[in-house]
Amino acid sequence: MDMDLFLQLSANGLVLGMFYALSALGLTLVFGLMRVVNFAHGELYVVGGLIGWALTETLGLNFFVTLAIVVVVLGAAGYLIDRLLITWVRGQGEEPTILLTIGLSIFITNTALLIVGTTPQTVLSPFKSKPLFLGPVVLTQSRLFLVAICAALIVGAYLLIQRTGLGRAMRATFQDPMAAQLVGIRTSHIYGFTFALGAAFAGAAGMLLGSIYVVQASIGGVVSLKAFVVVILGGMGSFPGAIVGGLILGLAEALWGGYVNTGYVDAIGFGLVIVMLLVRPYGLFGKRIERA
Amino acid sequence: MAFERNFLLTALVLALLAPLVVQGDYAMHIGVNIMFSVMLATSLNLIVGYIGEFPLGHTAFFGIGAYTAALLSVRAGLPFYVTVPAAAVVAAVSGVLIGAVTLRLRGPFFVIVTLCFAEVLRLIANNWVDLTNGPMGLSGIAKPSWAMSGDILWQKVTFFYIGLFLVAVSLFISYRFVYSNVGRAAIAVRENRFVAQSVGIWPFYFGLVTFALAAAIGGLAGGFYAHYFSYVGPEVFDFSFMISMIIMVLAGGKGTLVGPVVGAVIVVLMEEYLRDFKELRFSIFGLIVVAIVIFLPRGLMGFVSKRHETYKGAGKALSADKTELRDA
Amino acid sequence: MQLCKRLKRGAFIGLLGLSAMATAASAEDTIKIGVIQPLTGSVAYNGTTDVNGSKLAADEINAKGGLLGKKIELVVEDGQCKPANSVNAAEKLIQRDKVVALSGAFCSSATLAVMPVAQNYKIPLITGVSSSAPLTEKGNQWFFRATETDALLAKSFAKILYGEIKLRKVAYIGVNDDFGRGAVAEFEKQMKDLGATTVMTEFFEHGTSDFYTLLTKLKASGADGVFVAAETQDGSIFVKQKAELGLPVKVFGVGSWATSDFIKLTGDASEGIYAAVPYAATMTTPKNKGFVEAYTARFKEAPGKYSTAGYNAISILAQAIARANSTDAEKIREALTKTDYEGPNGHFQFDAKGQASGFTVVLVQLTKGSPKVVDSATVEEH
Repeated sequence: MDMDLFLQLSANGLVLGMFYALSALGLTLVFGLMRVVNFAHGELYVVGGLIGWALTETLGLNFFVTLAIVVVVLGAAGYLIDRLLITWVRGQGEEPTILLTIGLSIFITNTALLIVGTTPQTVLSPFKSKPLFLGPVVLTQSRLFLVAICAALIVGAYLLIQRTGLGRAMRATFQDPMAAQLVGIRTSHIYGFTFALGAAFAGAAGMLLGSIYVVQASIGGVVSLKAFVVVILGGMGSFPGAIVGGLILGLAEALWGGYVNTGYVDAIGFGLVIVMLLVRPYGLFGKRIERA
Repeated sequence: MAFERNFLLTALVLALLAPLVVQGDYAMHIGVNIMFSVMLATSLNLIVGYIGEFPLGHTAFFGIGAYTAALLSVRAGLPFYVTVPAAAVVAAVSGVLIGAVTLRLRGPFFVIVTLCFAEVLRLIANNWVDLTNGPMGLSGIAKPSWAMSGDILWQKVTFFYIGLFLVAVSLFISYRFVYSNVGRAAIAVRENRFVAQSVGIWPFYFGLVTFALAAAIGGLAGGFYAHYFSYVGPEVFDFSFMISMIIMVLAGGKGTLVGPVVGAVIVVLMEEYLRDFKELRFSIFGLIVVAIVIFLPRGLMGFVSKRHETYKGAGKALSADKTELRDA
Repeated sequence: MQLCKRLKRGAFIGLLGLSAMATAASAEDTIKIGVIQPLTGSVAYNGTTDVNGSKLAADEINAKGGLLGKKIELVVEDGQCKPANSVNAAEKLIQRDKVVALSGAFCSSATLAVMPVAQNYKIPLITGVSSSAPLTEKGNQWFFRATETDALLAKSFAKILYGEIKLRKVAYIGVNDDFGRGAVAEFEKQMKDLGATTVMTEFFEHGTSDFYTLLTKLKASGADGVFVAAETQDGSIFVKQKAELGLPVKVFGVGSWATSDFIKLTGDASEGIYAAVPYAATMTTPKNKGFVEAYTARFKEAPGKYSTAGYNAISILAQAIARANSTDAEKIREALTKTDYEGPNGHFQFDAKGQASGFTVVLVQLTKGSPKVVDSATVEEH
């Protein structure tokens, strides 16, 4: 029985960890690579979920069509946010960026509240939530499906950054914008595109997770905080790192919650970050060393 | 320096006279809120403006101060004039402890790690029921009896003056600090860490001293808050206080002592006026914040001093032109 | 320097303006009642339904000609369920809007912070929601609670949980706020007194989305029943995920469980769960049918616990004002102590401490998408 408990808790933790990685994917790009401390990340996630709910539940659209729409809409919104807003504060340190994105998050949350109201909603999913028994461990079809999608997205993002010309241009831009410009990269487009990609990932995560949890205008703040924890644990801007960061967080929360108590579960991530930054300031997978 | 001193003294005199001019309990309630906000903004500004790092968990010290005052008052029955200084002291000590851990980090890492501290403290306040009474919070924090002796207006005016006194103390100490050798060293670190190090300034030490002072002022604000609202719960560690603080400091202009004062006044009044917009108010508030960042990048004080400079500069250029003309 | 002085002066003129507005508002042709509810933040959903109920009550009264020849006007402020924000809202409502009475502030902690303000200004404050038992033990004459306390609910239903649903090994799970902790503590106490054993007590944060850890722990604890104190958003996820894991444990909930949104969110997963609530749309009290029809017609959904709470609070205040035949605060307070109100969930009267009694609380079982009333109890004066 004890072994069964441990297996089930670990399985819960791994699934939860993948979900954390998924919801932090957009922030890995925007915060990890671009160094934009984006406090509107959770709100982009929420908007993705709300669009997903509106199209699947009220218009009866197909789940995957809706997902494509969410990606396109959030991508466009992200591009505009970067080109119209973030560009003003680029290279000015953390404070203006944080204040700007906080202002944006307040605006998005409360405008969403005005439009869709306060009621919790869910995204209609084609996958079943009936229990699946794998030995002593119970899972559901919808969760397994989401884990698979999550893995696919992360691999896709990794390949995009590491294997394509665009990805090379992105990496060049974030390492040395001046040099990148000199070799002919249009850096303002690269910034815009990266933010767009980050927003699209955030929106997709919001919709995918909205199909098993709930979507509500007011949950953005919690999502942002957890995503920051994951990105820092994973070492800023590394996709394998984001997965490991998510899995560590998920497992730690599940085991602590399972064996100690659940009241303090939300403190685990923050505690881990504090310890991690003291022991390994640049994360598990971070390579870059900060310099002046 | 002279400008800051003169401005702050003028503001002090105006504030001293305010209750004579401005009548009404509600205006005084807003006045108390302004005092409390000025302390918070001044506290955050010491770190943002003078260390040049951005602590996103600055509510930690406000919250520690509020809980210290609340616990000493409710559990030990200590009076106002003991609990509030104690709040400042405990907050300063925790400032040294948290600063010693976090000041090793910089940039976004510092931002997030301080936020983590505040969140951990919030969760402790929520879960350690034996000490903090958990989410039920601590209520019935005693107000000083002489403040409660008169009618409501008297109570508010008393608290307004207590707040004003605490603000004056905070600003006086900040002023002396900023224009002391320690303060100048801290500014040197902010401007260029490596040059400062090369002339023998140890950034960590000066950061820590500034951190302790900022924490003490934050704790003072917390103690004042606890006694005015006579209720303290885990929400004192909430991110919403942090948001107000950032806006006050950055909208007013960081790195000056005047900026956060102006910022606090404006933000409190703005939040009150926006109430009239009902459901729209937070959407408008968000837009205003975005607009401030884009159109007032150096804050209101930065904007004022820039105009001041260009005006003076333009004048000089003009007179130079004239002399040139005359010489020709 | 000049400019700065001007700025500062501007701020003071702003302050003056504020006080001017306060005096301007006193030229009244309506009777203003202040409503403080969370309209943003984690419990905004519940606060909004409370305001809906309040509006319905005000409209009904106005449609019948209002009070003392005037219309009732609700001035709604967002207290965010936070003590400081709720106090600020109360100060604004009392000073600027000159409300004659307050209804609010949802979370017990926020209400607790507003109570001294109401007492100080001598303005009656009524809550239809805050259930923390100590609130009515503070000796605050201006405070009235038109709902059950955690303790009263526990006393009413612990017997049924033990006797009829036959729970012996009970797990307790609550949202980690004043409501969750209060409800868990009271039910655990009552159940223990009856002889049930506690196998687990856990709390979770508002906005938790994954309950698998808690549910796994619940399964391992060997409980035959679980008591859950949570609101719609958290409770619905809990119930859904419990079904996903296929746990056979009986669920007994308190909070906004019997609402139409809850049932819609959970679907089949809510089949068979029990909930103790002060109100369910399926109650058969004389006043309820008309209330459900009016509410559904206006808001396109059946009323829930908090809609009724808001409705009752405003109705009770209005009746008191009518009885007092005045908007004088002391006279309204006097009249409130003599409350004799028949609401959708029964009869309300206040004892000397301001605690209501005489109304009905029900135990419902969610069956086929509707809350079926299994048992009901009248809250007695104690």
